[in-house]
Amino acid sequence: MKGTQLGEFEEIVLLTITLLYDDAYGVAVVEALSKRLERPMSLGVVHRTMQRLEEKGLVHSRFSEPIAERGGRAKRLFTITLAGEQALREARRIRNELWEEIPKTAFDHLT
Amino acid sequence: MNRNNKNHQGSQPAPPRWAERLLERLTAPHIRDEILGDLYELFQKRVQRYGSTQAQLLYGLEMLLLLHPRLWRKQAQYVNRYTTTVYSPPNPMAMLSNYVKIAWRKLNRHKSYTVINVVSLSLGMACAILIFTLVKYHLSFDTFHADQNRIYRIYTELHTEKVTYSTGVPNPMGEAFRSGYNVAEKVGRIAFLTKRVVAVAPQKKFEEDIAFADPDFFDIFNFPLLEGNPKSALQDHNTALITDRIAKKYFGNENPIGQLLHIDESLVVKITGILRNLPATTDFHSEIYLPFSNLQNHSPWMVEKDWWLGFNKEMQCFIRLKPDVSAAVVDSKILPAIVDKYYDKENAKHFRFKLQPIADVHFNPNLRGYTEKKNLWTFALIGFFLVVTACVNFINLATAQALGRAKEIGVRKALGSQQGTLFWQFITETALIAGLSLIIASGLAYLALPFVNQWFGIKLMLNLLTDTYLLIFLFGLLLIVIFCSGAYPGLILARFQPVLALKGKLSQQSTGGFSLRKGLVVTQFAISQLLIIGTLIITSQLRYSQQADLGFRKDAMVILPVPDNKKSKISTLAAQLSELSGVENVTFFDTPPATEFLASTSFRFDSRPENEKFNISIKAGDHQYAPTFNIPILAGRNLNPSDTIREYLLNETAVKALGLASLQEVIGKAATINGRSGTIVGVMKDFHYKSFRVAIEPLCLTTWGETYNSCGVTINPANLGPTLAGLEKAWTALYPSSIFTYRFMDEDIERLYKLDTMLLRLIQAFAGIAIFVGCLGLYGLVSFMADQKKKEIGVRKVLGASTFGILWLFGKEFSRLLLVAFVLAAPLAWWVMNKWLTNFVYRIELGAGMFILAMLITFMVALLTVGFQSMKAALMNPIKTLRTE
Repeated sequence: MKGTQLGEFEEIVLLTITLLYDDAYGVAVVEALSKRLERPMSLGVVHRTMQRLEEKGLVHSRFSEPIAERGGRAKRLFTITLAGEQALREARRIRNELWEEIPKTAFDHLT
Repeated sequence: MNRNNKNHQGSQPAPPRWAERLLERLTAPHIRDEILGDLYELFQKRVQRYGSTQAQLLYGLEMLLLLHPRLWRKQAQYVNRYTTTVYSPPNPMAMLSNYVKIAWRKLNRHKSYTVINVVSLSLGMACAILIFTLVKYHLSFDTFHADQNRIYRIYTELHTEKVTYSTGVPNPMGEAFRSGYNVAEKVGRIAFLTKRVVAVAPQKKFEEDIAFADPDFFDIFNFPLLEGNPKSALQDHNTALITDRIAKKYFGNENPIGQLLHIDESLVVKITGILRNLPATTDFHSEIYLPFSNLQNHSPWMVEKDWWLGFNKEMQCFIRLKPDVSAAVVDSKILPAIVDKYYDKENAKHFRFKLQPIADVHFNPNLRGYTEKKNLWTFALIGFFLVVTACVNFINLATAQALGRAKEIGVRKALGSQQGTLFWQFITETALIAGLSLIIASGLAYLALPFVNQWFGIKLMLNLLTDTYLLIFLFGLLLIVIFCSGAYPGLILARFQPVLALKGKLSQQSTGGFSLRKGLVVTQFAISQLLIIGTLIITSQLRYSQQADLGFRKDAMVILPVPDNKKSKISTLAAQLSELSGVENVTFFDTPPATEFLASTSFRFDSRPENEKFNISIKAGDHQYAPTFNIPILAGRNLNPSDTIREYLLNETAVKALGLASLQEVIGKAATINGRSGTIVGVMKDFHYKSFRVAIEPLCLTTWGETYNSCGVTINPANLGPTLAGLEKAWTALYPSSIFTYRFMDEDIERLYKLDTMLLRLIQAFAGIAIFVGCLGLYGLVSFMADQKKKEIGVRKVLGASTFGILWLFGKEFSRLLLVAFVLAAPLAWWVMNKWLTNFVYRIELGAGMFILAMLITFMVALLTVGFQSMKAALMNPIKTLRTE
């Protein structure tokens, strides 16, 4: 398999999955993302990302009971794994470091 | 989840059923439930938010966005559960070399099959490449100028009884636009003059297209200077810019800067700059540019009066708008304002000015554009058809062969090959053939390019390695061909049931390709027939236009240019030419009877108070014009010799348009045409003074010495050579500083149909290729059928079937297919060709004859193709075929 490098969008989806904790499934993630990113999000993109996350072992999934409002179909509920948590922390660490190392004057000339 | 009750009342809206079904079939099992559930839930939410229709649409959209290999890819663990070893998908790269090896062997073994496929695919692809290059070439005309979407040409619409268009504008337009309105960054007037004599030294003379342009011209257009100062270019009187090509042609390796050019003896200019050679894709042909201010010295008649009523199609005005100004505003506000300001009430009704985007210049037939975009799309469509025909061959042969390969596939499957692997193996085989064909096709296209360039009179380039668009196109073409022709047979082969295949129990039906194959053969032949019918109809229309009685004499007529039309020169020339033994008649005029462009002008008849509603065209010609061209005078008499406008000859249509009962009524009446009055002395018979595309319209002929620029000579074709030499001698003696050229009248008429002739040649070529490719396919199919039916034929022969009976066995099948193809092609061809013919006012009738002829041609060709193989099969000794069992 490809490396477990966390892509930009993957990171956001993974964060959303973690945020939704016990109710992270396709539609919920799509809606949470559209609200936060303030742009419409297609199910296809999110779905593919979640699949990839699962292949990388960053999340794992289980099926819920069939639900009438979904036309009698089950939800696939995602939860973050330990590896997922590590990947998120790693990503955050890198970002923090970058932010800290930006010299104070870097934004000054932009006024 | 809180749900609104509304939803549960009555019939609950449901997502589109077809989409759900499709997804059920597409998605891999382990994600099917989840996806459908998610979509269902989203749908219900959207029904509440936006309503049912919107939700349905969004459902479809979401479905499209879901389409991705991940949708149907099986879950890795899913396979794991059922196999003991860890499943690893075959490494595609490792398998590829294996595929290629097997494919190569296969192709090598079935040589005739490979050859047929390669030949037809390369022909199809070569045409596609050429057509692509051609279309791209035309679409790229004048698109290389910086800010080309802000560059416009101002053109004139003359609204009289009907609207006429001209690329030119009145002379003061440029100045009025520049000074009065603050919308254009640059305004450049330019006057084009074709075929002027440019002399470097008294002996070195050339004929060249020249242009007089404002200094802003080179600021508007991107024609860079190699040498010289772009800021001061064309500012000074008596300077010139020439292209590098002209510089080389005139001065070789000498430095051209500072050299003198003598233009038409009236102008001496100094070269101050060298332009980079013009790209092939521009509609600006002049390679010598002179300052606009010099036009006064050279052709005063173009600028003699700074008046608003006259305009010349060669006197054009280009502008570059400021970035924040829209063309629509200029069209609707500023140009009408100019009309209101500079015209009186009467004329303001007639004149309209509009902006034409530079990108439109090449494609607008109203404004002398080279061609119409729809012609390009027609070619693109034909190219597409040709590729389709080639792919059809491939599919046909491959499905026909499928049976022969049944055993191989059975064995492979029994040994554990999966559908996917078999499919990809087949695709590899196709890719090899297609790749090889592409290489051959590129070579063919390269070889054919000079001929195409010659036909069209253009400079197409084929840079296979550097042209990105072409590379992308080639790659796309390759992919499309591989998948169009490879996918279907691949699927058929991969789906064989191994047991049946091994037992040899597969029949023709189980290859699934039989009815499809028939369908494809029909398509192929329908396409060829369409093209053949097109060829036949265009040929006959062109023959009709060129050979029909145009109402004047066109054979044995030679036309010479008259560089100087002073009365003394003309009469000397006339006298000297008449003395030559082969010369019968000599006449002077501005345009020969048939020309493409002829301006029309206002007409006031007799004592009627207002101008006529219609416009009339003028031809200037001396008293010899009508007799020389054999134009009959129906009433009154011919013009008397004169140099000025005194008398008019009208054509019949003009008299009819005046609303008079008899031709006699106009004789002796006064007429004011284009502001000059004269007497109508006679009526000439209508003749076709434009192409057959347009109806004959009112026309008058008058003596108008100052506009004569050509001399028409009827010569005795018996001793053409000496007569022409005599013409040259007399002419050169009179015009020593000019270059002698001549042309035959028939060429003029051919030129009117230049585009149609090109179209014809192309369609002929395409029809030839289409039918050839079709026959190749047919040949392959029949040889294959003959091979399959060997035993059947053997048995039949033993039982006493005649050779003819066996031939019929093959023949009836294909005759039926050809007939169906004809039934499909004929109405379509009728419709298309009828549309093309509506371009012509004078045209042939579409008869059944041409359709039948087309069918016969296809039949004959197909018969020849099928005949050889079926003959061989029918004559074969049955012992040979039957002994094997």
